[in-house]
Amino acid sequence: MRQWLRIAFPRNYLDRRKRAGFLFVLPALLFFGSVFILPLAQSIMYSFYKIAPGGAKEFVGLRLYEKVFTDPTFWTAVQNTLQLLLFSVPTTVVLALAVALGLNRISNLKWRNVWASMYFLPFATSLVAAALIWQWIYDPVYGFLNYALSFVGIPPQKWLQSLFQVRPAIAAVSVWVRIGFDIMIFLAALQSIPEEYYEAANIDGANAVQRLRYITLPMLNPQIIMVCILELIFNFKMFDQVYATTQGGPAGESQTIIMLLYDTAFKYFRFGDASVMAVFVFITLMTVTLLQWRIFRKPIEF
Amino acid sequence: MKRGGWWMLVILAAVMVAVTTPNASFAQQKKLVLWTHWEQNPDFNKWYESKGKEFAKKSGYEVEVVTIPYQGYEAKYLAGFMAKSSAPDMFMGMTHQWCGQYDFCDKMPADLAKIYDENLPKYMVEVGKWKGARYGIPIEHGNFQQMYINVDMFKKAGLNPDDPPKTFDSWLAAMKKLTIADAKGGEPTQVGFAIRSKGHPVGITDKFLPFAHAWGARMLSPDLDKATGYANSPQMVAALTFFGDLVNKDKVASLAFGNPEDAFGQKRAAVIFRESWFFGWVKKNAPDVNFKVYALPCEKACPGAGALFPWTDLVYKNSPNKQVAWEFMRFISNPKDDLEHHQLQGILPVWTVNLDTPYVKSRPDYQSTKDMLAQPVPPTYFHPKSNELATAFGDAVVGVLFGKGQPKPLLDEAAAKMDRILKD
Repeated sequence: MRQWLRIAFPRNYLDRRKRAGFLFVLPALLFFGSVFILPLAQSIMYSFYKIAPGGAKEFVGLRLYEKVFTDPTFWTAVQNTLQLLLFSVPTTVVLALAVALGLNRISNLKWRNVWASMYFLPFATSLVAAALIWQWIYDPVYGFLNYALSFVGIPPQKWLQSLFQVRPAIAAVSVWVRIGFDIMIFLAALQSIPEEYYEAANIDGANAVQRLRYITLPMLNPQIIMVCILELIFNFKMFDQVYATTQGGPAGESQTIIMLLYDTAFKYFRFGDASVMAVFVFITLMTVTLLQWRIFRKPIEF
Repeated sequence: MKRGGWWMLVILAAVMVAVTTPNASFAQQKKLVLWTHWEQNPDFNKWYESKGKEFAKKSGYEVEVVTIPYQGYEAKYLAGFMAKSSAPDMFMGMTHQWCGQYDFCDKMPADLAKIYDENLPKYMVEVGKWKGARYGIPIEHGNFQQMYINVDMFKKAGLNPDDPPKTFDSWLAAMKKLTIADAKGGEPTQVGFAIRSKGHPVGITDKFLPFAHAWGARMLSPDLDKATGYANSPQMVAALTFFGDLVNKDKVASLAFGNPEDAFGQKRAAVIFRESWFFGWVKKNAPDVNFKVYALPCEKACPGAGALFPWTDLVYKNSPNKQVAWEFMRFISNPKDDLEHHQLQGILPVWTVNLDTPYVKSRPDYQSTKDMLAQPVPPTYFHPKSNELATAFGDAVVGVLFGKGQPKPLLDEAAAKMDRILKD
């Protein structure tokens, strides 16, 4: 309390510095509080209320949790989301790492930047625009992909309109959008690994695989964990691509949990049910992130 | 630093006050704001603005039309209405949803309501009402599906475009003749029927309901309080079996063709079931398509004039300009404007007196509309939870189309879910 008072009414130079620091972070705090913390608190509160038309609230305890968690549609959406995660997260991380390793070997800085920018471009594209571009690519009749496949004798596929291909097809869009960002992270991390380690390994007779296994990957551990967490969060919250292309179809096969949450809140106007889903997403992501962080993160010493 | 810090505090406080203080309505003084999601009908929407200029001469208020993309319009509407400060004065929507499930609509003044009750075709009188009170102005006559056929494709297939199929049996036979299979065993290059299989299940339900009604089925009980026994009745199972077979057994419709309107406009499908606005859409987007419009075929019953989406113009209850908004509504509530407004976009007017005007008579759907109206009015489902109910039902329809299961178990599952929604 005294500290806050001294920030509000500084008595010396150090107090004034503290106050200046506080004022600098205040906008960010206000933004974070109003955009993230308040809605989160509101979601948690709403998940215990049945909100009647017109806004009247009735406290129902855990009834909405029971209702949502016993609804097969909810678990189908969770299953779809997890499958999309399984398709896209490992693919994005492994491909990004491979590309970053390749780019790191390009000694000409100009060309390395050109290639890196090309990979990064999709990340700068709006997700909805990217989804619409891919919708055209996947079109079963006029799409570029089927046209290209016809040259190697593969018959036309239904892609987004197939029960079995829709999730891998959407996951591919995510990979395409996200890979550039992950490459940048890995590339920056690769460039910060001291060259001496590789020189020492070369003297000891280590081959390329051993250098990757015993130097590069351990040194990239924090970045790999971070990228995995970011990809997990991004893909778990997948919405734009699905909304713009399939709207959860065909036959609910691409309905993700956020898509269901959106429909529940804004199409069916069930804010209580939607809040339960939001709380579920928050707790799941928080738990998985903490577990990933605790289990896989290893300290690095240079 | 000291002075700078205080200045920063003052600025931040000012920003906070500016952000949190309920501001003047988005609908500024001297301007009425109308939200619509009818993005496929831009001329229809623009008319409100041109009429607003005339209205401004006597009231001082112009009209600004904001077109909200249909996909996700509910969220935008809801956010606006709940926030109040960014809400429109007038909006297009479904009465049972925005005035029933939510209480966002202003009741129509009694004298204006009387005018509409007396001047609408009988089947439309209930459109725009909630619990007996009128809130909305119906904006679309012919808001029920009719059969659009491609005349040239009919002729090419050896069918007489002037003698369309009257029953679903003969209709299916015609669809088979109109379908051209792919020589390599892929998707047909041309299909008989442009089926709706993409998008949200609500829209898919809407497109399936004429089939259900033709088979004598209904989605909900007459009191709209029960689904089991209706949504999964033997008649509904038969209708859905027929519908699913169009894709999976008879192969006269394809799931690969995407948007059915595009398939019809691109001459890849010979027949589509759509509402009266589609006449204007084809004329504008596919003017080379030679088409005719007929009443839908019949099975046990003839699917008459019914709609899942009864669109109306409504006035926002909390608008500071709601009196002026009603004055504007009154200003455009006359046969002349009704005809001009709808003719501009190629839509059927709503006033009874306009239904036999030269414009309506010259339309290719003049006779078919009369034929549809001559049939008994099919079931309507103006329930506040219609979106959620139609989604649960649509999941079964789309499940059958994509071969996820058989009609009976999927409809049983849907009916049980719909009952849960109704009880909740």
